[in-house]
Amino acid sequence: MAKILITSNDSDLNSSVSAVFGRCPYFLIVDEKGKLEKAIPNTGVQAVRGAGIAAAQTVVSQGATVVITGNVGPNAFAVLQQSGVKLYNGVGMTAKEALESFKENKLTEITTSAGRFGGRGAGQGPGRGMGGGMGGGRRV
Amino acid sequence: MKQVAITGGKGGTGKSTVAILLANKLIKKDKIVLLCDCDVECPNDYLLIGEKLKKPVRKVFAEFPKLNKNKCQKCGLCSKTCQSNAIFQAPGKYPVFIKDLCSACGACWAVCPYSAITPKKEEVGKIYLNKLKATTQSSKLFYLITGVAKPGLEETGPVVIQVKEFALDFARKIKADYLLFDTAAGIHCPVISALLGCDFAYAVTEPTPMGAYDLNLILDLCKKLKIPAKVIINQADLGDKKEIKKIARKHETRIVKEIPYSKEIVDAYSQGRLNKL
Repeated sequence: MAKILITSNDSDLNSSVSAVFGRCPYFLIVDEKGKLEKAIPNTGVQAVRGAGIAAAQTVVSQGATVVITGNVGPNAFAVLQQSGVKLYNGVGMTAKEALESFKENKLTEITTSAGRFGGRGAGQGPGRGMGGGMGGGRRV
Repeated sequence: MKQVAITGGKGGTGKSTVAILLANKLIKKDKIVLLCDCDVECPNDYLLIGEKLKKPVRKVFAEFPKLNKNKCQKCGLCSKTCQSNAIFQAPGKYPVFIKDLCSACGACWAVCPYSAITPKKEEVGKIYLNKLKATTQSSKLFYLITGVAKPGLEETGPVVIQVKEFALDFARKIKADYLLFDTAAGIHCPVISALLGCDFAYAVTEPTPMGAYDLNLILDLCKKLKIPAKVIINQADLGDKKEIKKIARKHETRIVKEIPYSKEIVDAYSQGRLNKL
């Protein structure tokens, strides 16, 4: 299997695949045997611009030839295509699920760029929880 | 000669309006004034005084990197040096320059140990000069220099710097008493470029929460650049000035002028005769 880079929202395989390429919180590097090699925090999140190119640079520097992600901007898309890196859509899955799907050839290949700043500003809002109390009243 | 910036952080507070009104006032006091529109991404001072941009007096160039593949050793230093993420390089491959992201800073050819990168000049903007009769007295002149960046250009700070250099030369030639720089909105590179070297700045704001917030940012920037800044509130009677006063106090500066909402100004603005006020 190829070396894979997954853009993720946290630092382990149980975290969800980030829908944005350049400004994802973490890069998960998965080695040829399918084991998590390392999680790299993405410093490009803070970049004024060129976050996508910086992320693409991480992909090739880490030797990954497959990327599982979401929206890829035009600059990053162009250089990754030129470098022969294959891009797959893993949005909505955890990194682990995406890896399994990739092994089973079930992921869709990303063949177009999301457009400029396609993913900028995307994020996860606070979760809204509903809780209820359970239990009987105290018997007097 | 005094160099004065008219800035303010927030867009639409009336920087251009105040710049032109200030020029009018100084011209009436028999001063020689040159107004320089540094909002090169969308200059509009010429529109507000009913002028057209005809023939550029000068073109602005910037230098972008060009790779000589015969000399390049693929060492990767250029890609690592670039602060704009504008150079991509896959291991063992030639670097790729992404022009959209390049700020034309020249760091890549400065660091290349093999002289494999050479600067290539490209036009990035134009400079225009308008000379018209000022206000009511026909003998006096209103000088306007306008910088225009090439549409789509990412980094316009270098254009502003060259426009200012031209304006400074011209101001010396006409023996100007005042050189006014009308800056863009914001606190980013083109604004910083416009502020640098100014003797002082007027921060034009409006009595709104956004106006106050951005005023705080621009006053912070002026402090960092060591440029004394004073506050002008435009449409001062249309909102709550409390926050503006608070920000001004925090920065130990003064509100030097409050311009009330005026139909006269709005009319002159929309009819392109702001210089006649």
